[in-house]
Amino acid sequence: MGRLLMSGTVDAECLMVDFAGLRLRNPVLAASGTFGYGLEMQSYVDLEKIGGFVAKSLTLEPRYGNSPPRIAEVSSGMLNSISLENVGVEAFIRQKLPEVPQEALVIASVFGTEIAHYVEACERLSSEDRVAAIEINASCPHVKSGGIEFGQNAQILGKLVGQVRSSTVGTLLVKLSPNVTDIAEMARVCEAEGADGISVINALQALDVDLKERRSVLWNGLGGLSGPAILPVALRMVWQCFQAVSIPICGIGGISSAEDALKFILCGAQAIQVGTANYLNPCSTEAIVGGLLDYCQENRVGSIQDLVGCLQPPRWKVS
Amino acid sequence: MTSRPSRTCTVLSNESMGGGNFCLRLEISGEWARSSPGQFVMLSPVAPSQFCFSDPLLPRPMAIYRTDATSSGSGIVIDVAYKVVGRGTALMRAALPGSLMTVVGPLGQGFTKPGDGIGAVLIGGGTGIASLYEHARILSEHCRTVVLLGANTAEMILGRVDFEGLSLELHVATEDGSLGSHGLVTDLLPSTLEEMPCSHVYACGPTSMMREVAAIAARRRIPCDVSIENNMACGIGVCLGCAIPLGEGKGFALVCKDGPVFDCRTLGWEDC
Repeated sequence: MGRLLMSGTVDAECLMVDFAGLRLRNPVLAASGTFGYGLEMQSYVDLEKIGGFVAKSLTLEPRYGNSPPRIAEVSSGMLNSISLENVGVEAFIRQKLPEVPQEALVIASVFGTEIAHYVEACERLSSEDRVAAIEINASCPHVKSGGIEFGQNAQILGKLVGQVRSSTVGTLLVKLSPNVTDIAEMARVCEAEGADGISVINALQALDVDLKERRSVLWNGLGGLSGPAILPVALRMVWQCFQAVSIPICGIGGISSAEDALKFILCGAQAIQVGTANYLNPCSTEAIVGGLLDYCQENRVGSIQDLVGCLQPPRWKVS
Repeated sequence: MTSRPSRTCTVLSNESMGGGNFCLRLEISGEWARSSPGQFVMLSPVAPSQFCFSDPLLPRPMAIYRTDATSSGSGIVIDVAYKVVGRGTALMRAALPGSLMTVVGPLGQGFTKPGDGIGAVLIGGGTGIASLYEHARILSEHCRTVVLLGANTAEMILGRVDFEGLSLELHVATEDGSLGSHGLVTDLLPSTLEEMPCSHVYACGPTSMMREVAAIAARRRIPCDVSIENNMACGIGVCLGCAIPLGEGKGFALVCKDGPVFDCRTLGWEDC
């Protein structure tokens, strides 16, 4: 009987969250790039039972992505260098979006190599009713600045967020790059430029070596590290952002279980995204929803939102 | 809606097949979509509750060597034939009967049926043979089926005894000459195709072997399916890690979703 309660709206109310202007049935979202366009996951996850999903990052035009090898396994994580292969904004709107079940909440992810590309893609996507929010992927090289990631330079990031904000109706999230000295500064820039929320963090830039070849394991050289290995780094960054801004935070980084999700919520995340765990077990998101519900019921938590940012101060601070 | 959830399975046995090959027999209880030959599963050598603590982390794509009914009649038994090549397969080797694993599947596109069904040739090398057994078993009940298997030594020919138990013509090539013809298994293909009417060739093995098979089949205008092996994180088309080139300017296909079985003409062999 316990499992049956999951589908009951009354019992699941404790998981409802208000996040950046969105009413989510629970705080569990699937992260961009790990969930396709949602359709691929329907055999494994009831899309109407999770908070929503962030679709694979879109560019104005379709993109093929990098040559193989594109992924590699490392301790407690993986490297990827897919280079954002995607069907393009138009094909997403025409072919993918109409197929997504009505009750599923869809967040579109956008990236580009120039600000104008982001702006155009966001304009087009935010005119679609089925797109509940847009998440800007700021971990892309800015061509005009010699390839530095948008998210690595506060000025460039500010310019990007400001311009996209003015062309985006509805909820705008910015996914921050962790490859920075001061994540809080980036969070403040996003808040100042009108972002409704931030997603923290994207993959960590990383390298692994094939000793036999004396070469990077990835065709592209560098890749993004994701999976349980990055969870403590992500928690730290979510906590630092929570201290710095008052816009809501969506925590991302190595979340594989309800316990992991709760850690992010305590550190200040109002919602969370599950990424690499979708590869390990395609049913992860739904399992985490179930785990959070069990936790709330066992610990008499009336609303999971009450736990946001409730991390106790470190022991040395307690007199 | 959710028709293929990840499933807990129980290790029934984990025995040597000789020559460094092993067979993991897994019982999956409850409903399981019927697999077609050539499909695969994603296998984690740990129970679902443990998968995020597993090191290595990622599940492994494994060919379904053979399927069987369970003793109770519900659920299914699948055999996974493997060789220990790294840490993932080493964990599989260490699994004891009764231990739990996590399996997702059956996944991907299997082998196509032979066009007019006159005759089929299956050619396998190394652990690639694991993808062919179930297909050979079914084909042999319907048409003339010739199986060509190759490995370094006689002992290393995966599942030779199982193939010998089927009503088909089996020819073997070993690189050390310890059994059958001395040399590569691809050397047997031209003469085989010379001697029999063949409507389809099926191959699984090292890339160099499949490239050669594809070329031989193309020269004779015989359709040829190849089963491709690749690293993958998800197995279900979302990580995009298992891309293989389709040839100059044609982009990529995903081994997990578009394959693992491909019409050999669709692949960009010069880049594979």
